Amino acid sequence: MASDSLLQCVDLCVGYGAVRSKRGADRPQSLFEPFSFDLHAGEVVALMGVNGCGKSTLLKTFAGLVPQVSGDVFLDGTPLQAWNARERARRVGLVRMSGSAPDRMTVREFVGLGRSPYSGFLDGRTAEDEKIVDDAMQVTDVSCFAERPFTELSDGERSRVFLAEAVAQQVNVLLLDEPNAFLDIPRSHALFRLLKKFVGMRKMGIIVSTHSIEYAEKYCDRIAVIDGGNFRVAPASEARNLGLLDWARAE
Amino acid sequence: MCAAVLAGSALSVSGLALQTVFCNPLAGPFVLGISSGASLGVALSLLAGFSFGNFGVLGAAALGASVVTIIVMWVSGRFRNVGVLLIVGLLLGYLIDAIVSVLIAGSEAEALRVYVTWSMGSFGRVLLDGVWVFALAVAAGLVLVVVSMRYLNAARLGDDFARGLGVRVEVSKKCVLLGASILAAASTAFCGPVAFVGIAVPHLAFMLFKTTDHRVLVPGAALCGTVLCLLAGLFPVSIPLNAVLSIVGVPVVFYVLVRGSRTGWW
Repeated sequence: MASDSLLQCVDLCVGYGAVRSKRGADRPQSLFEPFSFDLHAGEVVALMGVNGCGKSTLLKTFAGLVPQVSGDVFLDGTPLQAWNARERARRVGLVRMSGSAPDRMTVREFVGLGRSPYSGFLDGRTAEDEKIVDDAMQVTDVSCFAERPFTELSDGERSRVFLAEAVAQQVNVLLLDEPNAFLDIPRSHALFRLLKKFVGMRKMGIIVSTHSIEYAEKYCDRIAVIDGGNFRVAPASEARNLGLLDWARAE
Repeated sequence: MCAAVLAGSALSVSGLALQTVFCNPLAGPFVLGISSGASLGVALSLLAGFSFGNFGVLGAAALGASVVTIIVMWVSGRFRNVGVLLIVGLLLGYLIDAIVSVLIAGSEAEALRVYVTWSMGSFGRVLLDGVWVFALAVAAGLVLVVVSMRYLNAARLGDDFARGLGVRVEVSKKCVLLGASILAAASTAFCGPVAFVGIAVPHLAFMLFKTTDHRVLVPGAALCGTVLCLLAGLFPVSIPLNAVLSIVGVPVVFYVLVRGSRTGWW
């Protein structure tokens, strides 16, 4: 196993059937053919495909929120399921743009939740935690509305707060589910530049699902595509020539 | 007075925990029928004659409360809508009232007198030897809630989010709900059905402490509940406890409803 491999999957099948099949009801349904894939430190991988192809499910599987149908996922060389929940949350984080808006919670309190995997028995925060939260808000450009209630934010502002929370979590493997869905064009560029900066500075590996070929080719190191039941991956500069983006053409 | 402190903290923390776990600002031990479950336990114990001293009534109440909590938990897993949960709680409350009235019809005059006195709700009748049992039960309930602090702080964002933060949601949720049931049961067994403390006090604590951190909110709610119950206890005995609490509680719940319509819950 390569030493810089943060997340590794071998003959992985993902889908929602895994839980049900334990009860002996349905046969688990895999969303696409088994595949193997390595995420290395220092790279951003774009994950692309049409709606409903299984991008989100794959990301949830990598985050340990959905059990895989078959195959193995390794996080830092240890099977994902073998990690204890807290240790795992310090290493892998999934950022989603949807989710219930927490009533009465300020942006700062929300970002502070990112320190929860590190906190003690009573969920206390140290001065160092507060510093990390401040830095996370700074780098994602949300400090200016740190004390505003989360519910009053626009979708675009919320996106950045969700990202700030994951930054405060200080994970090695960052998974983002369509982070630029609600962002304007300058902010989308800024987001992808920020991701590139993270993987360089913090030795992270990032998988980001997006519908924007432009950002994927411009900012990501590799492009992974789920198309017609197959998972394929290629360096971003070659993906187009290898036909990985053919599915995205208009009729 | 001890009873007011214990019941006030117990009901407030129970209400806070339920509102957080079910992501529902109108949840509370009374609204969800958990207090009614405890009442049924007490009624069975007092009217149908299963009496084993303080522990017996408390045990029966805790059992009743837990059964209702399990039903409510099952319902919350099946229906996403916050309103359904409240209606189910209401229905359970009516059903239990009906069962209790059947029990009353078949009970003797002396048992009935004890039951009716209990059902008025009061902080004054707990005997001193009973206070220790009461305190013990409240302490147990509080511990169950407090050990799940990390879950409580993340719970408002949904189970998946909490899992992503490394919280063992399944274990923590059961722990909190058991704690909330014990708190509601203890308060109900010793002080009778006390309305509105559980639903209103968490909101008062929010307004006062302006935070969503449960490390502040749990003691904050306990404090607000204690103060409210002590104040309510100052009124002359001729005014029923629940009348005082309703006069305070209804405006608070109404405020929550109006606030909710602004933030778009209903």
